[in-house]
Amino acid sequence: MVILVALLVAAAALIAAELATSAGRSDVTVADPCRTRAAFPGGGIDATIQRVVLDGLDGAACRLHTTREQLVLSLRPGSGKRRWDQHTIDTALRAGLLRSVDEAEHRGDIPGFLAPIVRRVVERAPLAKLIQGGVSLSDLFGCTS
Amino acid sequence: MAACEYNSGMGSFRVALVAVAVGVAFADSSIVVLALPELYTKFNTTIERVSWVVTAYNAAVAVAALALVVLVHRLRATTVMAAGLVVFMAASIACAAANSLWFLVGARSVQGIGAALLLAGSLPILTALTRSAVRGATVWTLAGTFGAALGPALGGVVTQVLGWRAIFAVQAPLAALGLLAVVAVTAAPVLEEGWRLSLARAAPANTCIGLLFGALVGVLFLYVLLVITVWGYSPIAGAAIVSILPVTTLAARPLERRLPRLTAVYGGAALLALGLLALALLPSASVGFLVGALALCGVGLGLSIPVLSHAALDLGAGLSRSGTLTIGIRHLGLVLAIALIAPLLASALPPAGHRAELRATAVLLDARIGLTSKIPIALAARGEFARAQAGEIPNLARPFDAHGAKRDPALAAARDDLIATIRDTITRAFRSSFLLSAAFAAAGLLVALLFRGRGVVD
Repeated sequence: MVILVALLVAAAALIAAELATSAGRSDVTVADPCRTRAAFPGGGIDATIQRVVLDGLDGAACRLHTTREQLVLSLRPGSGKRRWDQHTIDTALRAGLLRSVDEAEHRGDIPGFLAPIVRRVVERAPLAKLIQGGVSLSDLFGCTS
Repeated sequence: MAACEYNSGMGSFRVALVAVAVGVAFADSSIVVLALPELYTKFNTTIERVSWVVTAYNAAVAVAALALVVLVHRLRATTVMAAGLVVFMAASIACAAANSLWFLVGARSVQGIGAALLLAGSLPILTALTRSAVRGATVWTLAGTFGAALGPALGGVVTQVLGWRAIFAVQAPLAALGLLAVVAVTAAPVLEEGWRLSLARAAPANTCIGLLFGALVGVLFLYVLLVITVWGYSPIAGAAIVSILPVTTLAARPLERRLPRLTAVYGGAALLALGLLALALLPSASVGFLVGALALCGVGLGLSIPVLSHAALDLGAGLSRSGTLTIGIRHLGLVLAIALIAPLLASALPPAGHRAELRATAVLLDARIGLTSKIPIALAARGEFARAQAGEIPNLARPFDAHGAKRDPALAAARDDLIATIRDTITRAFRSSFLLSAAFAAAGLLVALLFRGRGVVD
């Protein structure tokens, strides 16, 4: 009987440990893109570009009433029925990126003399395709800087 | 004469052979579960369809055993068991040779009918071989309980080492050995059983057994889906983890013998329910918590099922019918639980998959890796998720490896974070299904409590 009671206590302890572990974990959350979030950390050209692109994606997602993650996933060719057409995505991305370039210039991430060039690139480039490739966008900003 | 045989080495050997056949027939309820991922790749099918390889066997055992209840007492036990072993052996060979899913499902159904026959005939034969209804029932009960607990582990090892066909191929010689033991029984047991309504006496114990076997769906089936398909373990690693179940089932035997019978049933059902609750509350893909929960389930099984099985058996004139009835009820419990739990899990997984995909993308976008990698990897990972929706096991490491994760520690760390996030999210999608399994065990406990004075264990 003592062993059985000990087993039942062990079962209760196991469940309590699981609940405590669950409570102590910080789950990954999908953030609201319309709210300001902590900027992507780090210095150098890559971190600067990431801040601009990620903020731009947030801005575009906010305009489309979706999340940054859902917007990125919808960029995959053949990803099933899309919620938006290509023109809508391009328009939202362009608007989001232009705003993030403004903010980057305001923060001092992008020098004032360079900002107009970057804006011109954002206005003319096929953004969705560039973001899908990642490399091309990086190269593009790398060339303009 | 049978008693003399039992006292000799040869007699014990025959008892062992019959017990192995009984154990294999019970293990077959879940033995193929760890091979299901390999089967749906081999037959290029869906999870729902491939699950029929498991369901067909259990449903066939349940239907055939319940049908046999009205008939089995009119037949010679050696004839029933020999017929069962021949059918089981032939169907096992057919399963091993199957080249289409539906042929395999058909062969599994026939194998289930053979299992019902051999299980129905085995109890009187063990009684005759041991010359004691109590000893025969004890061997039968222990072989059945241990076999049921051993199924997934045994199947996992055989699948990994020899392939899925070997699971069925190795059963044929075991059935043949059982057949030799049965044929050699010189004092054929003929039990004169009249039609009596005494089976109603065992209804509480059988109800309890059916509910506890239903609860086992959480351990025998959900566990495998979680560990192999979601956590990505190999069949042999999954078998190693789940081997804690038969080990603790056996380890509980001395405790079960020392406890009052009702207490063993209450304690066993409670431990099974708590073990399944612990599986439902797994905070992450943690093997430590998993092993602890499985150990509780194994002890719960070892405490409750042997006592309830004895209570469900009429060791007098109703031996073969009561044995056949309890076989049917426990497999019916398994099938009913699968029928309830499978759609629940099927409805929980797609939204969990979507949540996991979004969270994984969030992990990637926030990862300290280059922009040149993160978005292409996120899009490639979506391709892997699409494979998962089509019934394949996604390889989420592949997009990372293609971008150099084997050389880049930052990419490797992002890969590990992403995989952990997905596993944790999908693991929690199993919660409602494990809770339903726990509810089956809790209902079994409730039945035991309600009928404590009316023959649940005597």
